[in-house]
Amino acid sequence: MADGEFEPKIVGFLCNWCTYAGADLAGTSRLQYPPNMRPIRVMCSGAVDSVYILRALLEGADGVFIGGCHPGDCHYVSGNYKARRRLVLFNSIMRSLGLDEDRVLLRWISAAEGRRFADTVAELVERLRKKGPSPFRKLWEV
Amino acid sequence: MKGLLKVADNNPAETLRTVYRRWLADGRLSALLVPARSRSGVVTLALVAQPEALTEAAPLLPCLHVNGAQVLADVGRDAGPDTAKVGAVLRPCELRAVVELAKLQQIALDNLVLIGIDCPGTFKVATYRKLLAQDPDFDNNFARKRDLANSELRTACQLCETPQPLVFDLAIGYIGLDPDRELWLEAATEKGDKLLEDITLEPQDEPADRRSALETLITRRREQIAERLTELDRAVLGPENLVRFFADCLNCHNCMKVCPICYCRECFFDSDVFRKDIAEHVRLTRRKGLRRMPRETLLFHLTRMNHMMTSCVQCGVCEDSCPAGIGLATLFKKVARNAQEEFGYLSGRSLEEPLPLTTFREDEFQRLGEE
Repeated sequence: MADGEFEPKIVGFLCNWCTYAGADLAGTSRLQYPPNMRPIRVMCSGAVDSVYILRALLEGADGVFIGGCHPGDCHYVSGNYKARRRLVLFNSIMRSLGLDEDRVLLRWISAAEGRRFADTVAELVERLRKKGPSPFRKLWEV
Repeated sequence: MKGLLKVADNNPAETLRTVYRRWLADGRLSALLVPARSRSGVVTLALVAQPEALTEAAPLLPCLHVNGAQVLADVGRDAGPDTAKVGAVLRPCELRAVVELAKLQQIALDNLVLIGIDCPGTFKVATYRKLLAQDPDFDNNFARKRDLANSELRTACQLCETPQPLVFDLAIGYIGLDPDRELWLEAATEKGDKLLEDITLEPQDEPADRRSALETLITRRREQIAERLTELDRAVLGPENLVRFFADCLNCHNCMKVCPICYCRECFFDSDVFRKDIAEHVRLTRRKGLRRMPRETLLFHLTRMNHMMTSCVQCGVCEDSCPAGIGLATLFKKVARNAQEEFGYLSGRSLEEPLPLTTFREDEFQRLGEE
C-alpha cells in the first residue's frame, strides 16, 4: 500500500457455514465494503486457535476478525460458544500484558446477513483507522 | 479422620519417615513418591518401593527442582492393575497440577493416593545446598521457623497463596504448629482414612493456631504480590516493554518442557508447521525489513500462555529452568490469576470443577459476538 493515508490490514477468519456464506452473499448482492480484509475460510470459529490470531498480530496485521454462527446455530453444535470462551481468555491475557484487545473482533454473522458482514468490515476498518497502524508493524524483535 | 500426631524425639522429619515406612512395610502402599536427599548430595524426587530405602527420603525437603505432577504424568498416566497403590507426597502446587492433569486425562488417580504436605516455600537446589552446608539439620529447622519471610525462597514461593494442600486424600500439616511436638494429619477420603488406620492420633479439629498462621502467611504473601505486580507492570506492559521482557529468550522451550501443564506429546512449536524454505523466509522478512533470530519466540510465549494459563498453578519451575533468566513466575502470577478469575476458576482447587476451556454456558459473555 502506498505511503500517505493509512490503510488497515485485517486478517479475517470466517466460519465455513455462516460468516463465509454471509460474505459470499454480500458479494453476490453487490454490497460495497472496504477491501482491507483478507478472508481465510475455517471450518468453525471454534477452530481458530489463538496462535492464528497472535501470528497475524505479531506479523503486523492491524486487526483480526473472527466470524462465526449465531449462538445456537453452530454447525458443530457448540464450536462458537467455545470460540467465545477462548476469546475471553485471549482478551484477558492481552489486557494483562498491556496489549490492545480491541484490534480483535468476534462477531456472529449468519449466511443470510450479507449486510451485517459488509457493515462489520466497514466498522472494523473505521475502528482501526482511528487507532492507527499496529505497533507490531515496526517491531521486528518479536 | 483428623487429628494431631505426636512427634518423637523432636524430629518431625524422622517421625514422618517412620509413618511412611509403616505404609510400605504392611503393603498398604506398594511405593511412595517422596522428596529425597542422597548421601552424595543429590536432591530429587524418588519413587521408593522398599521400606528400608526410606532412609533416603527427606520428608521436609524445602526444594522443588521439578514439579512432581509431571513425574506422576510420566509414571502414573495409566492406572495398571489395582495391586499398585502408589502414594505421592506432594506440595500444594504439585497437587494442584495433579488435579489439572487428572482433569486433562493425563494422570489416572485410581491407584494413586495423594498425600499433601504443607509448604512454607522452597529454595533452588543450589541455594539449598549452601544452606544445608551451614546447617545439617536445615530441613527440620526450616519447618520450625515461625517467620517465613525469606528472600532466598524461589520467586514463585515468595508469591505463593496456597501453602496448604487443597485437594488430597491425606494432608500433613505443620504450619502454625510446633513441629517438634506435633503434626496435623487430615484424611479427606477413604484412601486417606486407610493410611491413618492404626496410627495414633489425638483426634481434634484443625487447630486455631494453624488457621491463623496460614491466614497471616497468605495475607503477607498477597501484600508481596501486590508490590511485585506493580513493579512487573512497569517492566512488561505494552508492546515495546513486552518485547524487551522476552528479548533474551533462546527459544530452548525449557519453560514448556518442565511445565507440568504443558502435556502435549508434540508441541505445535516443535512441529513442522513453521518450517518453510529459505525463499519463503526471505519473502516473509521483507514485510518488516528484518527479523529477529531465533524467530517466533514471542509468538511461542504468547501462544503458550493462551494454551495453559487457565490451568497454571504458578509453581515457577518455568522460571527456574530459563537460561536467560526471564521472570516468568511473577508474570504468570499476574496473567494466570487474571485469566482464571475471568471464569471464576482456580487451578487445582477441585476435581469436579470443569476446565474453563472444556465447558461453556449459553448465557455468558454475551457482549462478545453481538456488539
